[in-house]
Amino acid sequence: MIRKVFRTISHPGDSRRLAKDVVDFLSESLADSDTLHDLDIILTEACANVCRHAYGGQPGDLEVRLGVEPGQWVELEIVDWGKGFGPDVRFENPGPESEGGRGLYIMCMLSDACRVTRRGSENIMFIHKDIGRSRWKS
Amino acid sequence: MEKLTLSCGNGLLLLRYAGEITLEITGELKRQLDEALRDDSVQAVVIDLSGVPFMDSSGIGFLVSINTRMRSSGRSFYLYRLSPAVEKTLGLVQLLNFFEILKDESALAALGG
Repeated sequence: MIRKVFRTISHPGDSRRLAKDVVDFLSESLADSDTLHDLDIILTEACANVCRHAYGGQPGDLEVRLGVEPGQWVELEIVDWGKGFGPDVRFENPGPESEGGRGLYIMCMLSDACRVTRRGSENIMFIHKDIGRSRWKS
Repeated sequence: MEKLTLSCGNGLLLLRYAGEITLEITGELKRQLDEALRDDSVQAVVIDLSGVPFMDSSGIGFLVSINTRMRSSGRSFYLYRLSPAVEKTLGLVQLLNFFEILKDESALAALGG
């Protein structure tokens, strides 16, 4: 089991770089580019949500806690210490003319488990993605 | 913004952007497009997505907003040459049939581009 923590400030450019850093790290274990692209989208959406909503649009602490069971799965916790998701969190795909609200839906579509939780002062977006053995580097 | 080129002719505005379309860039893309659309002669916007290796939901929102703006004023909006990454992202949210998509140069030429 591999565990690693990545941290940055939730500014749009820094958040995108954080997602890329995590994907670069995962590319040392994963061979499949489509799976890496899925994880890149998941991380980018989660980090963008923190940028937009967690601290009222202001920069704040953003952390990605990565867990990897080589040959089996990847887990991600995207953590902020802002205002939280609230009761109106939506995982559905909005109508085609909606300009926003697709991030959580996309994350769920690309993962096997996807949930938001609050643990003390931490707001946690949890992702579990099963990845078949053939998609890993040997 | 050196990755962005805008060209206009025959009432058609062609926007090409080479790079990732994410939260980091959509605000600037909107600003540049707003400026170009001050020209009332623009009847259609075409966005070339062949050079986009990554797009997130901010990019989807950007495309939906242009579509709404153009359609609501009786004008047209087309996506042109989707990269595999863009096609995957739009497919995930079931929008591939929502937009009008030009697949190749002959389809663009038929519009006068």
